[in-house]
Amino acid sequence: MSKAPPVVEAVEAKGHGAFVESYDELEERMVINMGPVHPATHGVLRLVLELDGETVIDCRPIIGYLHTGMEKECEDQNWRGAVTIVTRMDYLAPFFNEHAYSLAVERLLGIEVPERGQYARMLVSELNRLASHLVWFGTQGLDMGAMSAMFYGFRERELLLDFFEMVTGLRMNHNYIIPGGVWEDLPDGWEHAVEDILEVMPRRVREYEELLSLNPIFLERTNGVGVISRDDALALGATGPIARAAGIDWDLRRDMPYEAYSELEFEVPVDTAGDVYARYKVRMVEMHQSIHLVRQILDRMPSGDYKNMDPKLTPPPREELNRSMEAVIHHFKLVTQGYTVPPGEAYEAVESPRGELGVYAISDGGTSPYRLRVRDPSFANLQTLPVMAKGGFVADLIATIASIDPILGGVDR
Amino acid sequence: METEWIRANEWLDRARALASEGWELRDLAGVDTSGLKDFESRFEIVVQLLHSERRERATLHVMAAGDPPDVPSVVSVWPTANSMEREAYDMFGIVFANHPNLTRILMPDEWEGHPLRKDYGVGKVPVGFKPQPFLQIEGPGQAAVPDEARREVDRLGQIVPERAESDLEPESERS
Repeated sequence: MSKAPPVVEAVEAKGHGAFVESYDELEERMVINMGPVHPATHGVLRLVLELDGETVIDCRPIIGYLHTGMEKECEDQNWRGAVTIVTRMDYLAPFFNEHAYSLAVERLLGIEVPERGQYARMLVSELNRLASHLVWFGTQGLDMGAMSAMFYGFRERELLLDFFEMVTGLRMNHNYIIPGGVWEDLPDGWEHAVEDILEVMPRRVREYEELLSLNPIFLERTNGVGVISRDDALALGATGPIARAAGIDWDLRRDMPYEAYSELEFEVPVDTAGDVYARYKVRMVEMHQSIHLVRQILDRMPSGDYKNMDPKLTPPPREELNRSMEAVIHHFKLVTQGYTVPPGEAYEAVESPRGELGVYAISDGGTSPYRLRVRDPSFANLQTLPVMAKGGFVADLIATIASIDPILGGVDR
Repeated sequence: METEWIRANEWLDRARALASEGWELRDLAGVDTSGLKDFESRFEIVVQLLHSERRERATLHVMAAGDPPDVPSVVSVWPTANSMEREAYDMFGIVFANHPNLTRILMPDEWEGHPLRKDYGVGKVPVGFKPQPFLQIEGPGQAAVPDEARREVDRLGQIVPERAESDLEPESERS
């Protein structure tokens, strides 16, 4: 089934937001609009489904309902200020947005990040991966009727958000990782907070596995559902857990390491089934691996500067403003116009919970990005949905969407 | 990381050669170079490629000449380019020849202009949502692209070559 039948085009012509149901008497096919406001579509994803009874014949994702022109807005910000915009894109993984952006700007500036800054970035990133996977765990369970998965997932996420609040002052949109390092040093007592998390989390993740991994209803609804082959996943540019569950052994942290990931030990889970259950297993192992990484980061956290202290890049410490004229001048220049970045282009990518999150930045030598492009993993991964959905039931489609884990803030930007 | 500039008419052949070498497409973005120095054409698409065996990345700039800027589509080479090319069309008005479904992807279908162009003024254009979307049911809904741009596509979004009508007719009816 390939060409859109006239009835699908008629539905699309009716425009945005119209809830449409139509029925083609000749072919006994129904076209329904799922979304954009539907609890199981994870945001404002709209799907035009062509159904033969309960079977999905065609599925077309329609996006753009959250589009706010963030890439354009970044062109009006200075290089430091654009962090506050990119962090809002994939709102479940804000640290990764900031991280990829900062790496790209650092590449353009040609600067290094001090070791403590690198480890602080990895610490918040891995905890953020855990928090993001917990939301996925909750919604995957909830979409399939396992209400308690939602309660457990969000209960533990609260622990992590409390830690983020302690470090950055905010529960989301942290604005913490900046070009040159991290904005502030980790607060007093952060070790104890991380130790508390490390004490609780491994046990809890095992609890979740007991809850779902061998649950007969869960197995029935996920095994062999939403299958994508390795070749299709490769062709459609899927990254992250979707690609790894389909047999593509690729993780940027291991294969093209950034920051200090090459110094740490971790495993990359790979499965070959390519179905919803394989993606479930991959994400579950990733949660254990993130905990393992956080423990290593805690043990090895170096001391020293947490951001590049070049006065042309970083405002001077508060106490220096009282005695140094240069410090006042640097501070004034940075606050009123920001720093300039040499002309050029850079693409840097990080492994976000959903796959390769890349930022492509062009500088014209000024104080704001000339062009900023974010390659969001959800945007590319969403293209795999029609392949996974065709031939399955509508109920399977719900499980499949949850297993893709698309974040529409990142898709639409 | 290597960078290369390519003319639009060489792009499709180059893409096929790269794909057969094992390069995967990771990103495709439009750029309006009108504010940058030393750029030949106003619009470019910038392609990020990844070679996962060699663990290398490459950046390609494809120069889009003409008005509207015109570039061959590489959906037949890398199916993942589908929505990225739609986004470049939506944001910059770059037309991708032979794309299976070149329509707006992020902006509303009836939106005028291409927002990421440098001459698209912020605040100058009134918000142009449809007045009554629930009542207007006629009209094609595709403002810029004619209906012929929609092609028959297969599972991975590849264009299916059109068959002659005589192939489809049963034998008995033909005689």
